[in-house]
Amino acid sequence: MTLALWNEIVELTVEHVVLVATSMAIATAVALPAGILLTRRAPLQRWVMGFANIMQTVPSLALFGFLIPVPLLGGIGKHTAIVALVLYALLPVLRNTLAGILGVDRAVRESAIAMGMTGRQLLWEVELPLAARTILAGVRVATVATIGTATIAAAIGGGGLGVFIFQGLASVDTAQILAGAVPAAFLALLADGGLGWAEKKLSPA
Amino acid sequence: MTPLVSFRNVSCRLGGKDVLRELSLDIEAGETLVLLGRSGSGKTTALKMVNALLLPSAGEVRVEGTPTAAWDAIRLRRRIGYVIQEAGLFPHFTVEQNVGLVPRLEGWPAEKIRARVHALLEQVELPPAQFAARYPRELSGGQRQRVGVARALAADPPLLLFDEPFGALDPVTRVELQRQFLALRREIGKTAIFVTHDVREALLMATRIALLHDGRLDVLATPAEFLRAPGEEVRAFLACLDPQGIPA
Repeated sequence: MTLALWNEIVELTVEHVVLVATSMAIATAVALPAGILLTRRAPLQRWVMGFANIMQTVPSLALFGFLIPVPLLGGIGKHTAIVALVLYALLPVLRNTLAGILGVDRAVRESAIAMGMTGRQLLWEVELPLAARTILAGVRVATVATIGTATIAAAIGGGGLGVFIFQGLASVDTAQILAGAVPAAFLALLADGGLGWAEKKLSPA
Repeated sequence: MTPLVSFRNVSCRLGGKDVLRELSLDIEAGETLVLLGRSGSGKTTALKMVNALLLPSAGEVRVEGTPTAAWDAIRLRRRIGYVIQEAGLFPHFTVEQNVGLVPRLEGWPAEKIRARVHALLEQVELPPAQFAARYPRELSGGQRQRVGVARALAADPPLLLFDEPFGALDPVTRVELQRQFLALRREIGKTAIFVTHDVREALLMATRIALLHDGRLDVLATPAEFLRAPGEEVRAFLACLDPQGIPA
């Protein structure tokens, strides 16, 4: 392997990580508060979860394609890729936030209220700490999936390790496909292991 | 003197069902009123109206003379200790943090909280040196329930509510805790409302028993009067005391 190839692998891996990290940061920043809000608005749950579920069923290549002609959000390049990746990552984080908070033991929630906790205290001192593990599991699932899906971002000029894969596919060059696929798989394993470890650390009880 | 808690023609509809119908009842300071009844008789609903976890559909519940609807719910609840069946301890808090919860919410200084928590743990016979740092999962059911009682007492509330606190315990532990409760009551002399479906427990704990049936107050009597009270529902409960009465 030449030094030039190495440099390119490193460069595209970094680009890939930035793509995934940005998307996950945005997805979590949206889905976590939205999930908390939904636990307080039961009638909305069906609609919002329905939307997130539908987003997940759209094939990823198609979603990237659909976004290209959309004004503001779409076009060619990184930001379109990020929009698509965020849409995919929303569901697992949203679902786990909802499940984690609604899964807090009824007796614990009731006694928190009966002790005279305010809504805010209930959320920050009881619900979120007890749901943290489930929420983080959602972030982990979404991150691993996003690392894989992000390789498709190269199709619309999003960069990342997908660049190798698409080039390799076009020139029927297995080595080049692997130069994209292997680091992507490695990143996914790393993210899975790291976030899994954090999940165990968070174990409330 | 105004009663500490007063139910005035209180009705409650929950999910289209009349859970409580025109309940009128006064609870005087210092007494232990037991709400006795079958599952679904409305006793837990009545209890939850005292600390505004539920509000009446009609009538009003007055605490210290003020209707619960007019109280600031947070302030009201911090003046009322609450113990439920599974204790409802926070699994991510240590025993010390659980017991010190309300004092902390009330902004007591850390040293005062610590002293109070340790005194309470002594009182419920859980030596702090051994138990303060444990998590609820490291305790037995009876120990958890005693932590629940200590937590309810923490901010020295004038009124305590118990919702079948000993219901999930084995019979031996249950009797131990009942004894401890009675001893504690003699010591601190608080007003308590105590929900149970166990007539033995009711007779043991109560200064007065309010028997609820289908959301209505059936009988209100001292334990001695209750044993001689007329009525089918009273007899049904008293039959539980007599093993001979159970048809083979």
